[in-house]
Formats: sequence, C-alpha cells, structure tokens
Amino acid sequence: MTLLSVEGLTRRFGGLVAVNDVSFTVSEGEILSVIGPNGAGKSTLFKLIGSFLPPSAGRVLFEGAVVSGLKPNQVARKGIVRTFQETTVFKEMTALQNVVVAHQLGVTASPLGTFFSSAAARADERRFRDSAAEILDYLGLGHVKDVEARNLPHGYLRALGIAIALAARPRLLLLDEPFAGMNPEETDRAVAMVEGIRKRGVTVLLVEHDMRAVMRISDRIVVISFGSKIAEGSPEAVRADPAVVEAYLGKDDETIGH
Amino acid sequence: MEQILVNGTILAANYALIALGITLIFSIMNVLNFAHGQMFMLGGLIVYYVCVVLHLPYALALIAAVVIVGLIGMLFEDVFFQRVMRISNREENTMLLAVGTSLLLENAALSLFGEKQRAIPPIVSGVYRIGNAFLPASRALVLVLSLVLIAAVLVFVNYTKTGRAMRALAQDRTATLLMGVDAKRISTLGFGLGAALAGVAGGLLISISGVNAGIGTAISTKAFIMIMIGGAGVISGSLLGAVVLGFAEAIGYALIPGSVTYLLIFVALIVFLLFRPQGIMGKPAA
Amino acid sequence: MAASLDAIAGRAPERMGGVSRVLLTLLPLAAVLYGLIPVLFAGQPYWLNVMTNGAVLSFASLGVWLTFAIGRVNIAQGAFALLGGYVTALLSTLYGVSFWLCLPASALVAALVGAAIGWPLLRLRGIYFAMVTLSLTEAMRLAFLNAPGLGGGGILNIPRPAGLDTPLAFYLFAATLLLAGYLLVWRLATSRIGWVFRSMRQNEELALSIGIDVARYRVVAFAICSAMGGVAGGCFASLQQNIYPASYTVSDSINFMLYCFLGGLDFVLGPIVGTFGLVIAFELLRSIQEYQALLYGILMIVVMLFLPNGVISLFPLLVRRFGRGAS
Repeated sequence: MTLLSVEGLTRRFGGLVAVNDVSFTVSEGEILSVIGPNGAGKSTLFKLIGSFLPPSAGRVLFEGAVVSGLKPNQVARKGIVRTFQETTVFKEMTALQNVVVAHQLGVTASPLGTFFSSAAARADERRFRDSAAEILDYLGLGHVKDVEARNLPHGYLRALGIAIALAARPRLLLLDEPFAGMNPEETDRAVAMVEGIRKRGVTVLLVEHDMRAVMRISDRIVVISFGSKIAEGSPEAVRADPAVVEAYLGKDDETIGH
Repeated sequence: MEQILVNGTILAANYALIALGITLIFSIMNVLNFAHGQMFMLGGLIVYYVCVVLHLPYALALIAAVVIVGLIGMLFEDVFFQRVMRISNREENTMLLAVGTSLLLENAALSLFGEKQRAIPPIVSGVYRIGNAFLPASRALVLVLSLVLIAAVLVFVNYTKTGRAMRALAQDRTATLLMGVDAKRISTLGFGLGAALAGVAGGLLISISGVNAGIGTAISTKAFIMIMIGGAGVISGSLLGAVVLGFAEAIGYALIPGSVTYLLIFVALIVFLLFRPQGIMGKPAA
Repeated sequence: MAASLDAIAGRAPERMGGVSRVLLTLLPLAAVLYGLIPVLFAGQPYWLNVMTNGAVLSFASLGVWLTFAIGRVNIAQGAFALLGGYVTALLSTLYGVSFWLCLPASALVAALVGAAIGWPLLRLRGIYFAMVTLSLTEAMRLAFLNAPGLGGGGILNIPRPAGLDTPLAFYLFAATLLLAGYLLVWRLATSRIGWVFRSMRQNEELALSIGIDVARYRVVAFAICSAMGGVAGGCFASLQQNIYPASYTVSDSINFMLYCFLGGLDFVLGPIVGTFGLVIAFELLRSIQEYQALLYGILMIVVMLFLPNGVISLFPLLVRRFGRGAS
C-alpha cells in the first residue's frame, strides 16, 4: 500500500534547479533510501517532503491527501516526522526531558486543564514519561536518560534525535543522513536501530550520501543526480545500473557498496 | 525640492558614519552595539568640552573625540565583552551587556556634563547657494568631512591588511582563526574603530544641531533602523540604509510634522521587514 | 533547605503534590509582600510608593520574562504599558468606567494588539526582533502623540481607583496583583506549556518537526506579556492620575528587559528580584545626588560582569559553598 507519493517535485533557487521533477512512492512498512552524490539535491528534497521548504512545482501526497503547502508542524501531525543532520537536540534538557517534550502531539488535556493541572493533564504527563523512558530504553539510551543533552557523548546525540522523532509517533520517519561520519562499528549499530524502528511499524525514508549501509538496509533505492532521478529499484539493480555508476564515478571516486 | 536634496545628502552622510560603525562592530563581534548612540553623544560632548570650555580649535576637538571614544570602545571590548562572551550561557547576554554599557555611558555623561543641550559656535561662516537651495558653509564642511571619512573607512577595510582581516573575521571566524589571524586584537581594533566612527559622527553633528546627554537612545534607534533597512552586518547595506533614512527624514520634515515623519518611517519599516526580514542587502537566514 | 531554595528560585520540586507546591512557591514571596514590606514602611508614604512602583513594574517585567522564555528579546513592553494606560485613562475620563473594569479592558486591548502585531513580527529572531520591538515602542509613543482627538496626547485628572484611598491600600492592591502575576507565570513555566516554551527557545526547527505549533505558542506568550504590560500601564495611569505619550519610552522598555536579565532569566522570581533590586538601589543612591546615575550604571555593569546569569544565580552558588563548608 502506498503511504507517500512524490509527484513531479521541483525546487528552484533563482536560476538554479536544485530538485527537478522528481517522482517516486514509498510503500507502507518499507525502508526506502534516496542517494546521490554531494550536491545532488538530496537535502532540498528532504526539506520539501517535510514541508520545511515550499516546492516550486509538484506535490507530495501522504495517504492520498496533499501535504505540500502545510506547515512542518501540521505535516508532523499527519504522521511525517523528520530528523536532522548532525546533532540537533534540545541541548539544555536531559535526554528524558528531550523525549518527554516531544510528545506534544499526544496531548489530550485542554490548555486550561494543563494550566490547572487537571486529572487529564497529570495522566498526559505520566503517559509521556513512561513512553519516553520506553523509547530511550529501546534505542539503548536508558542509562543516560538523566544526563543533560549538551553533556552527552557525541555518539549518543544522533540516537537521541531519533528518539525525539519517535516520540511524535510518526507513520513515516524521514532520516537525514543517519550514517554520516560513522565508523563501521557505529554504522552496524545504527543499521540495527533503523531495522528496529521498522519493526515498530514505522515506515522509513532515508537520505544518505554514504552507501555501504544503504545497500544493506534498503528495500528500494532512489538515485538522484543534479536534482533529477536517474534510477530506482532494488539495491542490486541500482548497483548494476550504468547511469548510477557513471554519476558516482563522474563526481568522485567513491565505490558503490561492497 | 533642491533644499530637500541638499538636506537629505547631509543627513545621509552623517548617518552613514553611524551605520558604518555599528555594522563593523556587529559583523566582527556579532554584538548589537546598543551603546552606539551614547558613543555618538560622547563624541559630541567631547567636542563641546574641547572647543567651548578649553577654547581649543575644532580640528583638535574632533581628533580628541575620535581617540577618546575609540579607546572607550576598545576598553569595553577588552574588559567587558570578551569576559561575558566567555562565561555567559545565553547568547542574549552580549546584547544585554551592550545595553548596560549604554546606560553606563549615558549616566556618566549625565554626571559629568549635566543634561543641558550643548552646541558649539559655527566653525566657518558663509552660505552657498545651489539652485534654489541654501547650503551653509558649516554644513558643507560637515558633509565633506563625512564623505572623506566614509571613503577612508571603505579604503581601510578593503585594501589594508588589518581591514581585510576584519572582513575575513566577519565572514568566517573559524577559518580566519586557522589562518593565524590574531582574532582578539582584530576584534578589539574593530570595536574601537566602530566606536570612533560613532564619536566622530557626534563630533560633526554637534556643529550643526547640538547634542545632549540623553540623545543616545534616539541615535541608536536610528542606527537600528538603518541596519534593518540595509541588512545587519553588510557594509553596503549600512550605506544604503543611511541614504534611505536620511532622505526619508529630509522629505518628511519638509512636508509633514517631524513626529509624524518618524511614525510613518516606523510603520513603513515594520511592513517592510515582514516581506524582507533580512533587509535589502542582507542574506536570508537559512 | 533545598526545597525552600527551589521555591525561592521559583522551581518547586517536581515530586510534591500540586497544592503544597503552589503554597511553597507563593509563601516566601507573600511573606515579603504582605508582611515584611508593610511592617517596614507602614508610616512612610514615600517608600510605600516606591514599593508600589516596584510591584507594578515587576508585574510588567514578568510578562517580558515570558517572551525571554520563548527565546525573544522583547523591547516593546513600554508600548503596551502606554496602550494599557491610555485605555484606562480614556475609559475612566470619558465614560466614567470604574478602575476595576478599566484594568481588564486594558489587558484585553493590549493582548489583542499584541497578538495582531506579534503574529507577523515574531517570525523575526535575535537582534532583528529586539530592534523591531524597540521601534514599536517609539512608534506607539508617536502614534499617541499624533492621535487625532487627543490634542498632543496628555490625559489629566484620571480618577484614582475606588476603594484604594491610602498609599497602603494601593500598595496592598499592587502586591496582590504581583502575587497573582507570579502565580500565573510560575504555573505556565512549570507546566507542560513551559516545557514547550523551553523547547522553542532551544531549537525552533526541532520543535516544529515534532508537531509543536511554534507560531501559535509564540503569539500566546507575547499576548500574555502584552496584557501584563497593559495592566501595569493602567495601574500607573490611575495611580499617577495622568498619562502622556512620553510616560513610557524606549528606555522604559529597555528597563523591563534589564530587570529580567539582572534578576536571572532562569528563574521565574528573576524579574521580581531584578525590579525591586534596581528600584531600591536607585532610591538609595538618591542621597549622593549628582553621582546617582553614574553609580547606578556602574552597579548594573558589575552585576552583568560577575553574575551574568542574574542575581538569583548567586543563591545556589552560596548554598553550595555554605553546604560544602558545613559537611
């Protein structure tokens, strides 16, 4: 079943076309990766799907309804939640507080009830705390839940970013370069984490530059180069595609998967 | 009509000195210098003191204003800003520190000079006539001096080693540090130069319209308007902002009461910012 | 000790029951406002008046603290105090409306204007928001100066509030207002809403990505802040029985912001400590006449340099040192 469809998505910056008429679909329960050489327009595409940037043309549909043009928080409410590159977390909160505060979409108490600490508001708070603790445990962060985020070791921050996104209960999780800058051992752990996310019933769309992990984890891969889609298919098919090989070898001498 | 052009040009040139100074400080230090108007005021009062109380020539007074206000700027940067930048845990703190220094300067000026409006006798006499417009010689002198100073600053930041280091530091702090530039010294110098420009602008303006210890906030507000129009941290933008504000003021004062002019300027500014929050020349925020 | 310290700092411990947390938070402030201050200054109308000023100014500063909480430096509070002051002045002089109805009207008008202006302007961040709110203060003053029908702006002979005939009565009213404002802001800051504010201050994009309607929360915070400014303006108009366009200028807006900062941005009690501290310091320095202003300026810089996180940040430091010495 199709969860997300991207139809003719285009984004221009002045005279430059960063994303050019890109179309593809994501099915429920799959892991789909968008890859491409540096500067191919992956980041722009990612922002367009998350509605952090309006498209110049084309549209994004989620469960059959148009979501492009909505604000990012409205898209999140529909079930599309993104992570950020690097280490974007709430730095002055503990890991637990980071994930608790990310549960805002699950609020049932009214604003007045929240203010006067009604039974519903207290139930919300309890539920959020339990759920946050569960997510942190699931991602292996349980033992650092009371550490303030700015004091966390660098390696934990990306997992915390994913924990924050999971707290918003996404149907589709957008991961922005989840393996960037990782050594093979860290990549293994991150791959296992993404697999685990899928097991929780979350569909995953990830954008990635480094391809080794992508080849292992993806059900399907979309390749873009200079803003346009040049290939789509299983990891094996994409790896064998001459256009893909040329795009990558033409840009730099990175080899495609091992 | 010609008179509006002449008045606008004089205002624009004086404002450009103010805007250049605050832009230098902002781009190098990422500090919005709330004390800029107070530095302007201090420059004016120093000129008054040297000219009227000590009976020394205007040129000497202007140099005194540049040197003293410049040194105050360097001192503030070295003693106050570097310390607070190091130990505070919120980025707002430097802005608030700048507010604190503005109150310090204003209160110091109140204690030292009183609240009276101060002015100096005209430096040169005579009036030029340009078409239908009149240009008193003292204003012509202020205009010429302002233009010369603007040109000098532009030459300095574009063609000297120190000036280029300042621009590099403003563009990319980390990369500039890697190139072995002494960032601490350049920052101090930049702050001093920005402050000196405010001081000289005040020293020039006192010869036209007088200065009092309480004028600082109004001048800072004008400086903010200019960098909001032009784009914070962009030198060309600051000059453009000065031209826009100078002429808006000259046109407004000629046609409608002064306070309505500024009301309209503020309303126009707020509407403008809704459509272009980064100003005319500023880069859009990512 | 730790619990009462947290209460002093406006951060009641999380594990306590709701009612006792509220009491523990309010009691120290209530004791000072209703006990200490009236006892100390009962026979001194001048100082009682200073305390009244301190309480009403604190109320307005608490609003500004809320905009700090969402990560905006707000230099517009003077504009909303002016607006609220004019609402109270016009309603009471033109239509004979009671002070007790003027005050909510001032709050409402200020909140509506704040929401309408804030909706687009709150998109600006950092120095841009600071500069544009500063411009707003000046624009509001000029608007009242040139408003048709006001003839240059001033309104005199505003009736004093019915029932508040003595300085002590007005002080007690101001103290009650402040306590209510403190309870409001403390409750907002410690509830889920406060955590949402904190998340927006720390990273707006991340807050958006998890579905937080950042734009709406920002407007709500700014409107509450503006309403508090409006109420303060209404109180002063009635207390001083007059209002002019120059009653609140950019300097006043800057002062509200400084009170929060000098008291401590991390504590709900910060704006109150900052306001009273500076208002009292200014009065005490009055005895040295010509150097009053200079010393006041120096004092402010010294606090910024040595306590960049506010005066209240001194208390945890002292307790830690004291605790270490004892153990």
